[in-house]
Amino acid sequence: MLSRILLLLPLVWFALAGGAHAQAVPSEIKIGSLYASSGPFASISMPVYYTLKMWVDQTNAAGGVFVKPYNKKIPIKLISYDDQSSTATAATLYNQLITQDKVDLLVADSGSVLTSVAVPIAKEHKMFLFDVSGTGGTFFTADNPYIALMADPVSTIWPKYIADFLDSTGVAEGIKTVAILYATNDFTTTQANAVRGFIQAAGKLKIVYDQGVPTTTSNYTVLINNIANANPDAVLHLGYAGNDIAFFRNLQDSGQKFRFVFGIYPGEEQDELTKTVGVGGLTNIFSYVPPSSYHYTPNFGPTLEQFHAMWDKAHLPGVEFGANAIYGYMTGLVIERALATTESLDQMAIHNAVFGLSGKLTTMDGSFALNEMGAQVGEITPLGQLQADGKGGLKLVVVYPPELVNGKPIIGK
Amino acid sequence: MLFGAIAAGLVFGLYFTLVGLGLNLIFGVMRIVNLAHGDFLMLGGFAAYFLFYLLGLHPLVAAVAVLVVFFLVGLPIYYIIVPRLLLARDSEMLSVILFFGLSQVIEALTAIVFGTTERSIPGRVLGTGPVIILGQRLPSAWVFGAAVSSVAVAMVYLYLYRTRLGMLTRAVMVSRDEALATGIDVHRVSAIAFGIGIALAGIAGVFAPFMLGSVTPSIGVQINVAAFAVIVVGTLGNPLGTVLGGVIYGVSLMLMQTYLSSWAELLPNLLLIGVLLIRPEGLLGRKTRRA
Repeated sequence: MLSRILLLLPLVWFALAGGAHAQAVPSEIKIGSLYASSGPFASISMPVYYTLKMWVDQTNAAGGVFVKPYNKKIPIKLISYDDQSSTATAATLYNQLITQDKVDLLVADSGSVLTSVAVPIAKEHKMFLFDVSGTGGTFFTADNPYIALMADPVSTIWPKYIADFLDSTGVAEGIKTVAILYATNDFTTTQANAVRGFIQAAGKLKIVYDQGVPTTTSNYTVLINNIANANPDAVLHLGYAGNDIAFFRNLQDSGQKFRFVFGIYPGEEQDELTKTVGVGGLTNIFSYVPPSSYHYTPNFGPTLEQFHAMWDKAHLPGVEFGANAIYGYMTGLVIERALATTESLDQMAIHNAVFGLSGKLTTMDGSFALNEMGAQVGEITPLGQLQADGKGGLKLVVVYPPELVNGKPIIGK
Repeated sequence: MLFGAIAAGLVFGLYFTLVGLGLNLIFGVMRIVNLAHGDFLMLGGFAAYFLFYLLGLHPLVAAVAVLVVFFLVGLPIYYIIVPRLLLARDSEMLSVILFFGLSQVIEALTAIVFGTTERSIPGRVLGTGPVIILGQRLPSAWVFGAAVSSVAVAMVYLYLYRTRLGMLTRAVMVSRDEALATGIDVHRVSAIAFGIGIALAGIAGVFAPFMLGSVTPSIGVQINVAAFAVIVVGTLGNPLGTVLGGVIYGVSLMLMQTYLSSWAELLPNLLLIGVLLIRPEGLLGRKTRRA
């Protein structure tokens, strides 16, 4: 009896191993993602979606993505749904991607608001979340290994250079008081909390106005006049693109002047903001210098020039080139490298592969580095200023940190 | 700050009078809820944007063009949709569903054709430098928007109370069945009112890039919420009550922004709930609507 069993064992092993191997090699890698074709986040979501899709198309045209456990290239299937900028819809669709479509990899929609609902869902299903640009500080906790931020630095450190610049150059130029106006959502509230903390910790500046407004705010005239009544030297406006457009238009139209004015999107989405606000309304405004305006030297993927050429060739309808365009493609690059190094498609193996890239991968978005909770800490976005380029347009020059400076800041009198 | 906020609210509220005026006129005459109102406003904004950038048309000229075109567009929409809708047992409820669908179609088509990015027109087109009212520095574009709104309100008033067609319109507003019984061409009167309502939304849209910063295909929903707050406060079905509703909305919004800025988003809903609980017929009440 024992000898019969011993004889059968190799057959059983062969059948199981062979069968398992045949089942385990998937015909495609399913990537699930959401996008917002309408609503307040469409302008930051669609560039991400288009360029993630661009990466998928390019990869499939080259035979698929290389997946280490199978030692072969496998085609990618991108499953995407439209959440219409609604967190409720997004929550349903994230669940659908995980439970119905059974995607192998889950990519969040752009921005903190639409990522906020994905974080607990991914955690509950033990599904690793490729967080494209949801930088809210609360997303990254020690008890959640199922998330990593791809592109932007986490909002808890992102505004550090604003505070550092004001505390050094600003104070030297006579700036003493600051006003903070922010939209009350995960993204900009975290930024406001962070910059407030940095300023208060340094103790060199006095915050004379500190107010939150709904993200849907579309008129700022009274708020700007109220800020002016507090007589600040510097004004920090932290909002989404739509907020910035309204704020800077109203600021210009109201005729109020402040010595230093900062906004997130004049730099992040310079083309769009210049078209909607105008050159006059953005001249000498301080902003972040995103990868779309700064040339990092990548060790993987295209350079900024090469990517911009791809973008121009694609003729993508109704979206402007900006930081979010880079974020989508860059997420694809991280997925590509992670699949090339992962031990399996198990979600913790994906986690290990993504975290294994930390400190080793540099793309056109700069260095990719994660802290132990998955927050992106690779590049703190430099602080820049939109200055007249002498040809009727604007150029974004870096004014901080000192090692990256390529222009001299102009601080109002 | 208090007087400044009130001054800004008056000017801003006058614009929101224009935003709600067309919606209220259509409801008053036809008893249907045009949930696509905000989307027609959005289309007005896009029209102004393209007329400015492609043809160099000043927004005031664009407003006249939009008035004519949107009025003409409104007529066939009326004849295709409304008469059949009014045959339904609960046409008011059905209109909510139907125009919600139309709203979704307009938004989706606009996003497909024009993309989702924000579009705007430089503020300097409507004058440079602020206008100072009660110490409040207001964009000159706001004053333009308020002035155009005032003219639109005056024109609607003249139409309703100084023309024969306006008299017939008021008759339909009081009782559609009685108007029909007395030989009034109810559909013709209603179609014209519908066209005017759509045209007013379009004109409000022309100034949306200046008053709201920019336009996107998706602004319709937010506009509808504000417009409903304005017309419910000012009395549903009474076009001229919209002025009161608009001013109350504008002043309340600016006071909220000044003293409780984080909660300003709640304002339209608070106004709606407050009025519906305390005075459901609106501040001007039923009597005025039947005048």
